[in-house]
Amino acid sequence: MSRDTQTMPETRSWREIPQQVRPRAMSGEGRRRMAMKAMRATVGACVFGLVSWGAWEMAAVIRENPSGMPDSAKTDRVKSLVLVTDGVLDKNWLARTLSVPADATLMGLDLDRLRQRVLGDPQVSSAAIVRNFPDKLTVRISERSPVARMMAQSGAEAPVMLLVSRDGVAFSGTGFDTAMVATLPWIDGVRLARVGKGFGPVEGMKAVSELLATAKLEAEELYRTWQVISLSRLASDGAIEVQTRGGMKVVFGTREDYLRQIARLDLLVDSATDPTRPIRQVDLSLGSQVPVTFGTAAPFIGEPPVNTTGAKQEQPLIEFPTLSNIHIDIKREL
Amino acid sequence: MSSKTTVIGAVEIGTSKVTALVGEYTGREIVIIGCGECSSRGVIKGSVVDFRAATECTHSALESAERDANERIDHVYLAQSGGHLEGFYNEASVNVKAADNMIEADDIRTVCDLAKAKELPLGRLVVHNIRRPFRVDGRLVPTSPENLVGQKLEVGYWTVHGQEQRLADNIHVIRGFNLEVRELVLSSLASGHMVTSLEERQNGVLAIDIGAGTTDYVLYRNGAPHTTGVLAVGGGHFTNDISLALRLTEGQAEKLKVRFGRAVVQARDRNDKVWLDGNFAIGDRQFSRHAIESVTAARAWELLEVVRKRIGHAFSPETCAGGVVLSGGGAKLPALAECAAKVFGAPARLGEAPSWVADNLRDPGYHTALGILYYGVSSLGDHSAATRRKGGFMRNVTRLFAST
Repeated sequence: MSRDTQTMPETRSWREIPQQVRPRAMSGEGRRRMAMKAMRATVGACVFGLVSWGAWEMAAVIRENPSGMPDSAKTDRVKSLVLVTDGVLDKNWLARTLSVPADATLMGLDLDRLRQRVLGDPQVSSAAIVRNFPDKLTVRISERSPVARMMAQSGAEAPVMLLVSRDGVAFSGTGFDTAMVATLPWIDGVRLARVGKGFGPVEGMKAVSELLATAKLEAEELYRTWQVISLSRLASDGAIEVQTRGGMKVVFGTREDYLRQIARLDLLVDSATDPTRPIRQVDLSLGSQVPVTFGTAAPFIGEPPVNTTGAKQEQPLIEFPTLSNIHIDIKREL
Repeated sequence: MSSKTTVIGAVEIGTSKVTALVGEYTGREIVIIGCGECSSRGVIKGSVVDFRAATECTHSALESAERDANERIDHVYLAQSGGHLEGFYNEASVNVKAADNMIEADDIRTVCDLAKAKELPLGRLVVHNIRRPFRVDGRLVPTSPENLVGQKLEVGYWTVHGQEQRLADNIHVIRGFNLEVRELVLSSLASGHMVTSLEERQNGVLAIDIGAGTTDYVLYRNGAPHTTGVLAVGGGHFTNDISLALRLTEGQAEKLKVRFGRAVVQARDRNDKVWLDGNFAIGDRQFSRHAIESVTAARAWELLEVVRKRIGHAFSPETCAGGVVLSGGGAKLPALAECAAKVFGAPARLGEAPSWVADNLRDPGYHTALGILYYGVSSLGDHSAATRRKGGFMRNVTRLFAST
């Protein structure tokens, strides 16, 4: 080759001339054409949207229109129920909840009513029920997953265990693995309000679930020791109290980043190596100043706190005269 | 074959008139469905000098064409002329890369890129890159040299470039109608392709389009454009000459030129007089026919002589058996072909539109606009061919037009 193509000069073509002109440089007819073009594009988009919407609606009508389906679909009984879920509920629960009569036909079912029944279980957060002709009913649900548990007692009835979801809904928890449930911490210091057959949402669960999620993700060893989460000071002080299996009480503040507080707690736990003087209480709600109380108390033997009774035996604090309130600058040590 | 029809617009913004044509291309043939024409204003020697006036008359022609066609056009092919257009020739050669000396597409692309790569002066933009035939070891190859065997591949490009501002002015006049300019087409190429046959172009032919403000010419050799050029002299100068020589207004001079002008002096009797108006009205005057013919003949001779000098040795009667073909409104001057034959020493004739063109568009003044339509069809064909990577059918269509 006589020359290198990489060093070829750039020749400019007339195509580099910008073809856009300002509207004032256009004639009246040009402006009219431009407006018409824009209008046509808009109308075209609208027509396309309308046609698409119409087609969608038409398809829905055809799908659900009883007159368009075979006669057998109107008379055949429901032969199968299909449950599509992202959780643990099973077909038995579905059959129990829907209570579809044995001779019910697909078109004879009131889907809205069935849906209300499904949503009546607080474990279900959303539900959709679809007829699949000729004889199949599909129930698609989304379930709540528990982040904590609590004991609830109503009047003279025996206390019952409820699971609490991230959004504060308390539910009995059908189908969950007992081993998994056993790992969940208890919620204390809240009063449940009856709403219909169930309970109203637990206030402050957003903050608690955020704390639990952070602890579980960032310091699982610590999280495993957490036994009771008390919300008694949440509304008044913005503090969440955590009682561990070892008898230590940790106070978290809701105004500061949980990750930072958990990191400080982790450091303190690692620093306290003397088994004769275990940490009894840590208050992380005061920022970088962390009061720590040491003691010699026996490990806390966890009986689940029963809400609404409110009587909880406080363990006496043993404070060391010289080291009762140590202010540790966590930020510096970290 | 595509059953979809395409509407093509062609616009020529000339010095004397603006022509807009609308053609409907069915994939097999083109039918001219609309024609709009308007007297030109704000255009001198092919260049826009008054944007508003040029815009008004161009848009008027476009509106008229759209109304006539009852179709809406979204883009046009625009004729480009004017004294600012210039051309130069640049060639390049490469050694064939393959060990067996078989020319590959990469060799062709490289040599073409090299031949087109030429830095232009500031403010100049390329309008056309016209490729001349390839040469393989000196052997002329009219089509693609791919898969031929040779050691050296050569090609040359005739590059036409113009002044950026003047090109932009023409484009903006069209854009003012909210139309896209799909392609700029050199007026000489457009009209030249209309009035010459494939055989003539193969044997060598010079096509000269004499407009009102400019004269465009293209010399074909070996079937491809060899040289193009534009002179900022046209039919308007004939009128101006008569006006100056006989002390007349432009309108009167134009009237005499059309009625009595000739490219070769025929009147022997110097006392042979003609009337200006011929209606015996007060103020009507007599002029010597010989004087009128002398003025127009001198200008015609000079114009053609300048073209001959511009082309130089590229044109010779021996290498251009097709001779000279004249078109454009100025070519209607009687005996211009005779004059051209004398100047160039080669046969000359007036160009005629192909037989498929309707009678009302057969006037030489429409050759450029028709040629632009043809160019649009060809480029549509090229596009389809590039898309399908075959293009057999489109090539046939092109041949169909070429044979006409």
